Amino acid sequence: MSDLAIKTVNLTKRYSGLWSKQPVDAVKNLNLEVHRGEIFGFLGPNGAGKTTTIKVLLGIIYPTDGEAYVLGKPAGDPKNHHKISYLPENPYFYDYMTGREILTFYARLFGIAEPQRSKRVNELLERVGLSRAADQPLRTYSKGMQQRIGLAQCLLNDPELLILDEPTAGLDPIAHIDIRDMILDLRNQGKTLFISSHQLSDVERVCDRVAILNRGVMVQLGRIEELLAGGHVELIADKVPDNAVEPIKQLGGKVSLHDGRLIVEQPDNGTVDRVIDIVRSAGGHIISVKPYRRTLEDLFVETIQGGKNA
Amino acid sequence: MNATFAIAGATFGEAVRKRILMVILLVALLIILISPAFEPFAAGRGARTLIISFGFGVIQLAGTFIAIIMCTGMIPTEIERRTIYTILSKPVQRYQFVLGKFFGAVGTLAFMYLMMGIVFLIASRLALGSFDPQIVKGLIMFFFQSSLLAAVVLFFSTFVSPLVNYFLSGGVFLMGNLLSSFLETIQRNPDVTPITRIPVQLLTVILPNFANFNVQNPIINPEQVLTDEVAYLVQTIAYAIVYMALLIVASMLIFNQREM
Repeated sequence: MSDLAIKTVNLTKRYSGLWSKQPVDAVKNLNLEVHRGEIFGFLGPNGAGKTTTIKVLLGIIYPTDGEAYVLGKPAGDPKNHHKISYLPENPYFYDYMTGREILTFYARLFGIAEPQRSKRVNELLERVGLSRAADQPLRTYSKGMQQRIGLAQCLLNDPELLILDEPTAGLDPIAHIDIRDMILDLRNQGKTLFISSHQLSDVERVCDRVAILNRGVMVQLGRIEELLAGGHVELIADKVPDNAVEPIKQLGGKVSLHDGRLIVEQPDNGTVDRVIDIVRSAGGHIISVKPYRRTLEDLFVETIQGGKNA
Repeated sequence: MNATFAIAGATFGEAVRKRILMVILLVALLIILISPAFEPFAAGRGARTLIISFGFGVIQLAGTFIAIIMCTGMIPTEIERRTIYTILSKPVQRYQFVLGKFFGAVGTLAFMYLMMGIVFLIASRLALGSFDPQIVKGLIMFFFQSSLLAAVVLFFSTFVSPLVNYFLSGGVFLMGNLLSSFLETIQRNPDVTPITRIPVQLLTVILPNFANFNVQNPIINPEQVLTDEVAYLVQTIAYAIVYMALLIVASMLIFNQREM
């Protein structure tokens, strides 16, 4: 288990309200393994059980059934929290404090003594670009600045594992890019990142592996490149004689005609070359050849909608 | 303990910036300051008794409101705003969080009592021409009364909503002030059946006795004659400390199981 940053075994969290007849499984038999040093995307629609899982991992709530381990120890062990950091979704900090004061507060929670504490706080303020605003109260901070201070408090203890819940939600494009770059920087430092996010393009860009949760059940798990395999190439040709269409159809793929133009979707480049040869030899004109890569958004929608239809 | 004191410091910092608490403090300070002006209404009781009783009344009321308002939302607000997630995801034990909150509340009460005490001493010195040591004793007793109330409110805040907590804590404070007198009355009455007496006796034992702290007020307790005042004060303070400790331990145990 030592190479695993997070491991859950049949993790189940059931909520049974006082008056509700039917208990609800927020997370059901979740088996998850996150390796040290990887960036893991934890995806799912609202109410899928992502935040519930994170809360179990942090010991904020307790599992109904199953087990959860973080850095090799049972989840929620505060002694283990020296090596972990957490950024909640839309974090709220004591807004009467300044940026420097809030980081000092969290540094005290980590037991970092002076003079290291001040040194570390100053370093992080510099790193997240808040040195100039360090002595302003947090209530004057923009959303992007709040998120930066949130990330800074995550880095105080130089953690092995960072759990980030929607780290880029609601940010303007510049702040968004800044936070994303900081995450990439953390990856380069060899940190393990467990990111729950709806920003699928970000997840696709930074994560090594993803899991998709739907209604408390894990419905997809794998490396991004494996999950996103299966794109296609779209070829559009004009003035293709009718006698050339049949051999193209025989190559497989999807063939259709729109406004006299032939549209061919082929799963791989090799077949596309043959389609081009047929079109040209028949006197047709190639208008465009465009590769379409499957995106995480496509996979997400297919998975979730497939689950709904099932 | 560093984490506990860090949380206590943050709690204090937040409490002294709460407008409602500051308004209560300022109103109390203002009333205490002008209390000597009520001297003409003494009507035979003596200016000293009136000014001191009036001042204590204001301080006790302010202390009660401050303790209840400050502590009802102390834990639910942290959960609602999710600040607790960033705290408990650090190497902080849940008991340290509860303890930090309580120390922060007591620190805030100490600050408020210090402010009110200074103004009360100045106002009474100006009106009466001398310092009355009864004021210091009274302030200490009321501070412990408010701290005990804060522990009660914090205890309830680990498992009920702020609105319910207002009523529960207010009810406990009221009963804790009245029950001992009520029990004495019914014990003197031979017509009272055990069915009535036993539940009152039980409640008097279980609920904190807030009336013990009112001994300094000659208007509230005119019949109270203390043979050994120091022993009484020490005993009452010890009672408050033990009761607070029990409540905080119970709060920790409940909060340890609490899901957020």
